[in-house]
Amino acid sequence: MNTLSDDSQQLNDHLASALQTALDRCSAHPGFTAPRAGIILGSGLSGLADEIADPLRIDYADLPGFARATASGHRGQLIFGTLDEVPVVAMAGRMHRYEGHSDDRVTFPVRLMAALGTTTLIVSNAAGGLNPVLNVGDIVVINDHIDLAKKRDGLLANQRLSTLLDSAQATAFNDRILGTSPLHLYDGGLSQIALAAARAGDFTAILGTYIATLGPTYETRAEYRMMRSFGGDVVGMSTALEVRVAAVLGMRVLGLSMVSNVARPDQAQSTDHQEVLDAGRAAQSKLRKIVAATLRHLIG
Amino acid sequence: MLDLYDKIEDARQAIRKHWDRTPKVAIVLGTGLGGLVGDIDVEATIEYNEIPHFPKSTATSHRGRLVCGLMSGVPVVAMEGRFHYYEGYPLKQITLPVRVFKSLGAELLVLSNACGGLNPYFSSGDIMVIEDQINLIGDNPLIGINDDRLGPRFPDMCEPYDQQWVDRTIAIARRSNIEAHKGVFVAVAGPNLETRAEYRFLRTIGADVVGMSTVPETIVAVHCGLKVVGLSVITDMCLPDALHPANVEEIIRVANEAEPKLRQIVRGIVAETASVRIA
Repeated sequence: MNTLSDDSQQLNDHLASALQTALDRCSAHPGFTAPRAGIILGSGLSGLADEIADPLRIDYADLPGFARATASGHRGQLIFGTLDEVPVVAMAGRMHRYEGHSDDRVTFPVRLMAALGTTTLIVSNAAGGLNPVLNVGDIVVINDHIDLAKKRDGLLANQRLSTLLDSAQATAFNDRILGTSPLHLYDGGLSQIALAAARAGDFTAILGTYIATLGPTYETRAEYRMMRSFGGDVVGMSTALEVRVAAVLGMRVLGLSMVSNVARPDQAQSTDHQEVLDAGRAAQSKLRKIVAATLRHLIG
Repeated sequence: MLDLYDKIEDARQAIRKHWDRTPKVAIVLGTGLGGLVGDIDVEATIEYNEIPHFPKSTATSHRGRLVCGLMSGVPVVAMEGRFHYYEGYPLKQITLPVRVFKSLGAELLVLSNACGGLNPYFSSGDIMVIEDQINLIGDNPLIGINDDRLGPRFPDMCEPYDQQWVDRTIAIARRSNIEAHKGVFVAVAGPNLETRAEYRFLRTIGADVVGMSTVPETIVAVHCGLKVVGLSVITDMCLPDALHPANVEEIIRVANEAEPKLRQIVRGIVAETASVRIA
């Protein structure tokens, strides 16, 4: 544990320089094209990365600010290339708070994408369905989220703020965080494109609210009931942090949850990680269609 | 980074030097409930500071020792004094004893606590068998790289408290003519008690009682594969529209008064483990 928090602290101290080094390292690769869209691939959804043409793959291990992805079903590569004729960057594997990573580390890739010029971000995840209309394999186009994953870490947060304020770049970042938080984190226009793509593809997608938890435990039945009672449609352990930072940095965000299991609190059944991964694979073609429609919109 | 495994082993060995039986049941005694130790034929008593990596218990009316022995002829270990998040310990350290009990061979974990009643049908001094839980502590003992030797990365929580044991416990209480409720325990970090608005909120989200312990231990028990029975003693009623200031002495007094009921139920559970399979 010590190593992880020391590591996170180090990142906090050197955020701006880590960002610059990562940016230089990516753009120095021969064949690098600045991406217009970023795609974060959730559990079991990384197959889409294989469809990227002329891929330039950079292991997280070769970039400062990135941590090795420890969750199974997550690869740990940044993939640059072209998808549907749009220059993209995809994250196969992401960092989570339950792995012990600080908020800064979890959101570092998003900051890198923004620094590389990415203006649209598609964030996907595998999530548990709370809304009883949902079935396994359905897509929820995220309309808003509730972040229940704010880990108590007061000391680190204060240190982060003070060290960040040391650099001009970070001051600007903080001004935006503290000053003008966007009203809508998720882009309404992109949501409509996603819903239309689902209709055209003849599969179910609904607008909904994503609840982010700290994890790594799945929810108890009582917790499912609680989350449903205050407005959650799906629940997962990622996305909220990344989206908040992306929106603050001015990106247009599309959030997609693939329902990998459904919570039936009055008829308990267990949740198994393998089941989540399998459902993800089965729903990949749906995700692919929505991504295609979104990218088409970017060129059109 | 994966040093937890070795810490468990250190603690296990230290306990083994004092006591060599395999406990069947591990019992954690909550605020004001330490007297349960009187039902144990004590064979060894180990101060927490003699056990490597165990924190020191700082909470009111919590001793700080592990009591090993026989209850109704069944080998048990009991924690007289437990650790809370509000004492400033990380959840990984608070829950270490649970993993040590597992490594000693325990199969069933009985967790007791003193808590506030939110369900208006409950009364001060009542007992509730925990049926399910909500974690509002804002932390989780399993955060960090998972050690697969200790349990799965993503533990399922659809039945944190074994339903069969919930039913057995309710039946034991009934046979002893003790009214025992069944309900949902919500854990908060504490150490302050809740505001009236917070009590209304906790009731709205589906909780029957509120406390500052138990949930982290249960999460770790599920992670490492121990069956759990949770017993709450309602030491004060938290009805937001008729709220009295809480008084720690009063809470401890009610816990002490309710203790004979709790003891009887725990004795019944332990006796039952002699005749039924735990898992």
